[in-house]
Amino acid sequence: MEALFYNADDGYLEAIVRGYRGSILNNTAYINLTQCETLDDVKLQLGASDYGSILQNEPHMSTSMLAQKCTDKMVQEFEYIRAHAVAPLQQFLDYMTYAYMIDNVILLITGTLHERDTHVLLDRCHPLGVFDSMPALCVATNVAELYNSVLVETPLAPYFMDCLSAEDLDEMNIEIIRNTLYKAYLEDFYHFTQSFGGPTAEIMAELLQFEADRRSLNITINSFGTELSKDDRAKLFPNIGRLYPEGNLKLAKSDDIEQVKATCDVFLEYRQFFDNTAAGSSKTLEDRFFDYEVHLNKKSFQQQFHYALFYSFLKLKEQEIRNIVWIAECISQGQKERINNYIPIF
Amino acid sequence: MSALVATEFCPVYSPFFGVMGATSAIVFCCFGAAYGTAKSGVGLTSMGVLRPDLIMKGVVPIIMAGIIGIYGLVVSVLIGNGFRQDMSLYAGFIQLGAGLSVGLAGMAAGFAVGIVGDAGVRASAQQPRLFTGMILVLIFAEVLALYGLIVALILNTKAADAKCA
Repeated sequence: MEALFYNADDGYLEAIVRGYRGSILNNTAYINLTQCETLDDVKLQLGASDYGSILQNEPHMSTSMLAQKCTDKMVQEFEYIRAHAVAPLQQFLDYMTYAYMIDNVILLITGTLHERDTHVLLDRCHPLGVFDSMPALCVATNVAELYNSVLVETPLAPYFMDCLSAEDLDEMNIEIIRNTLYKAYLEDFYHFTQSFGGPTAEIMAELLQFEADRRSLNITINSFGTELSKDDRAKLFPNIGRLYPEGNLKLAKSDDIEQVKATCDVFLEYRQFFDNTAAGSSKTLEDRFFDYEVHLNKKSFQQQFHYALFYSFLKLKEQEIRNIVWIAECISQGQKERINNYIPIF
Repeated sequence: MSALVATEFCPVYSPFFGVMGATSAIVFCCFGAAYGTAKSGVGLTSMGVLRPDLIMKGVVPIIMAGIIGIYGLVVSVLIGNGFRQDMSLYAGFIQLGAGLSVGLAGMAAGFAVGIVGDAGVRASAQQPRLFTGMILVLIFAEVLALYGLIVALILNTKAADAKCA
């Protein structure tokens, strides 16, 4: 029944996003890109796509410039959609930017602790996650002061409830803070999308549950051999994934990757992540996560009258930029053996 | 010309119920058929962008939703054939019942066909072996409207032997 009323507020924006989705590079374009010999060839090939207009005035090509320009274009498209959105789509789009805000906050805190220059740090922040009082984060000493002076006015304020007790900001604690913030954000976003009902709730549930499980698996695997205690590890797992609650308990107790694999064996889709016996499988676990994420995001475009396609569009665009930068790096460094390790989208 | 006289069994207002029956048959069946066509049509267009070879196979739920509209049309016409200015209240009620039975059953079936058709068409693009399963579920959904049609037809035959006095 959402079909009756959706187009009144959001039909135009859905059409715009479907147009952007149509301009995502397909497999033929990637094959042409991998055949290029230099970065100028890459610029020529990209000239035919939507990226042509932003690259044509660049005299000298470099991979960092390419990444910057492509990200700028994606941000421009997203900001256009956000400017035209009304509630509740606007709230949904705002939620999507909180993830980048968390990354920016952590980047600024880490950079300040290592005594980097404020302006350099601010330039490296992700443009989708900027908020007004960001430069004030550079006077960070401990979390409580950060919270009281800066973060309480940002949308991230409710996510800090669990980590105000952090003592000092060292390397380990900052990662814990990042993961605690992200856990609170993911759970909040999940409950927000579930309040919509209909296809938005269904599709976002699938996407966010995979994101939660992916983070749980990454935290577990990365914490083997570090001083992170099992209790602390368990506190970082989001409780919205398919692995909640039994899978999370098992992951909290695992000591090696075999136990992680046994935990994931229950779910058919997750079993394939650890299946190393398939022929020619040189893909890392991260690659397989990206593969599955692209598959889920492509599926969300098959339904209409929901908000999940805005989320999927942003994720697919990010994957496209990762692919282009990977290919450009392989070309510029002359290492073309692994150039085909990009994830094809369409 | 014989004068029309209202009696206890054939009051003036009895055609109202009959006409409402004919209306509800076509209107509710069309609600169901419209929802079924719209929902599965959206799924078909989204799926057809990536898999154009499966478009003609995916038209099946839309055809089944259209059939539900035809059921409503048939019952409306049959009810309409039995209208008379001096028909009995009994006949009026039977016609109302017949119209409602096919109408609401058709609306329910149309909702089911729409939702199953949408999900089935999108899923059978990814897993071709799901197509037979989807057809089976669609048949079960469609048959609900058929039950409504059968009940309506049986009821309608009873309206013929109504008497005025």
